[in-house]
Amino acid sequence: MVALDIPRDAEGRPAFEIPVELEIDTDVARRVITDFIRSQLRQAGFERCVLGLSGGIDSALVAYLVADAIGADLLLTVLMPYQTSSAASRTDAEAVVAALGCPSELVEISPMVDAYFGQATAAGQVGAGREEGTSAGPEATSTAPEATSASAVRRGNFMARIRMAVLYDRSVTFGGLVVGTGNKTESLIGYTTLFGDSASAFNPIGDLYKSQVRQLALAMGVPTAILAKAPSADLWPDQTDEGEGEFSYAELDRVLYWRIDRRRSVDEVVARGFERALVERVDGLVARSEFKRQMPPVAKLGPRTPGVDYLYPRRRPGSART
Amino acid sequence: MSLRIALAQVAPQLGALDENLRRHHELLEAGRAAGAGLVVFPELGLTGYLLQDLASEVAMRLDDPRLAALAGATRDLSAVVSFVEESGDHRLFIAAALLEDGELRHIHRKLFLPTYGLFDERRFFAAGDVLRATPSRLGVGVGIGICEDFWHLGVPQLLALDGAQLLINPSSSPGRDLAATNEVGLGTATSWRTLMRTYAQITTSFVVFCNRVGVDESISFWGGSEVIAPTGEALFSAPLFDEGLYTVDVELADVRRERISLPLLRDERLELQAREMTRIVAERAGLAADSTADPGAEAGLDVLPAEPLREPIGFAARRR
Repeated sequence: MVALDIPRDAEGRPAFEIPVELEIDTDVARRVITDFIRSQLRQAGFERCVLGLSGGIDSALVAYLVADAIGADLLLTVLMPYQTSSAASRTDAEAVVAALGCPSELVEISPMVDAYFGQATAAGQVGAGREEGTSAGPEATSTAPEATSASAVRRGNFMARIRMAVLYDRSVTFGGLVVGTGNKTESLIGYTTLFGDSASAFNPIGDLYKSQVRQLALAMGVPTAILAKAPSADLWPDQTDEGEGEFSYAELDRVLYWRIDRRRSVDEVVARGFERALVERVDGLVARSEFKRQMPPVAKLGPRTPGVDYLYPRRRPGSART
Repeated sequence: MSLRIALAQVAPQLGALDENLRRHHELLEAGRAAGAGLVVFPELGLTGYLLQDLASEVAMRLDDPRLAALAGATRDLSAVVSFVEESGDHRLFIAAALLEDGELRHIHRKLFLPTYGLFDERRFFAAGDVLRATPSRLGVGVGIGICEDFWHLGVPQLLALDGAQLLINPSSSPGRDLAATNEVGLGTATSWRTLMRTYAQITTSFVVFCNRVGVDESISFWGGSEVIAPTGEALFSAPLFDEGLYTVDVELADVRRERISLPLLRDERLELQAREMTRIVAERAGLAADSTADPGAEAGLDVLPAEPLREPIGFAARRR
């Protein structure tokens, strides 16, 4: 086990904890992931990548990994701030661009979002996460203009989907595949927007928990400011993932790891010292977001149905762009 | 007698049979040029691993001219290659062939098709029914088991008892579990290394493990091919994830030395194993009393229901 040089806050406390059972061999991870990125591109007939750089640790790490795999000049990073996005996010994203020396574009999404909802003056009323498909039903009809009445959930989801649309457009102009930047933790608890940030051609870090993303980012030399700050979807000012979800990533990752990777029962996880309420809540989040991790079911009617009994590898002969 | 083994730790292209055939010819020539007497390719090296419905499209019958051409490239050479084999009655097998002196000498059809976790082989393939060691031009018996076959204790043992002194395992092992506590940073590699060294020692045979590299869809194959001496000592460990043709020199006489000094195979009790196996098979089939079942359990089952069956059948009935 290697001593990890975790960034410290002003009081000298580590900015985060990497639970010991989640520690990975970062050399092997880097090797597997960079080979994976090169293979995905080669098999699809592409040489370039496009990704959205938010200023957060996930997209920063993926940018470092892609640059490592194919060279920074073949990676287009797109910064897509909304008017309420924090200035620090922009600065941190620019630090990644500067450090890697990759091409970068700035696409302000405010006009696109505001064209739909109208001018927002009070964007970011605190909502209940980005969960969809709940039984809450449609929002109460309001006479207020959508600019002020649309919930943070709706606004956040819309922004994520606008960013997806921009990336897929840039995929054409730059001639690169869109690389996913979502991690395993947020995928498992459903802290993603369906067809928004979860959309990609392939995802190099989708099987790494947040704690493992941090460990690998540390090993790859992602800027300290990005490592040290609290993770945030940056959908409204001062939002943080951990504040919104009332958990710490270290704790959440451990619960997920023992429940899912190590197949421990709720009782067994509780016996390891976790609050039962937390374990059950995490279980609920995972179950309720199952739909976000799968392709939509197609009604089975014909003799052979894609995804059911027509099963071909996506990278079959002839599938590559020519 | 010294033998140079070449491990073709390659990354096959998924479904691209012609391209993979071309690469095999190339590597056979490279092996020959490097002085190898045996060239080993990984499981499904001719087709790639995650074939799904492509399996039937890349299948070859044993009389396929492309296979004959590949065999033709093995004059004064032995090679183990792996592909999808279609039988005359149109079953598809994951097969490995021993090619020698221009001929197809032996076929092994994969016996154990993992269909759990990330594996789905039984959906697409038929399981082989035959396990045989085969003589070879190398002067020793050869035993082939494909990947998962060597996760079943009986396979290397039966091959050794059947006369194999050189056990060959072509694999497509997907790498997983990057926990920092693993020997080489990869859980899969740790497990395989433990197993292969153990088999070499307890069968007092050479073990040749050839695992592929490259990526099929989500899966990364980790390489790390090895040659292990009959003492259990790893003579060579190929790098993880690096494609290459790696050569290793072995002294085949080491098998005799080890088997004289550690006569485990001599002491194996085949009749004991056969007898006890026969008994266990009979118990599972409900044809004999099961010594470890709940008393009164129905024949062929080992748990007595909370509410006993009103009319027990078979052995349990007779025991009452």
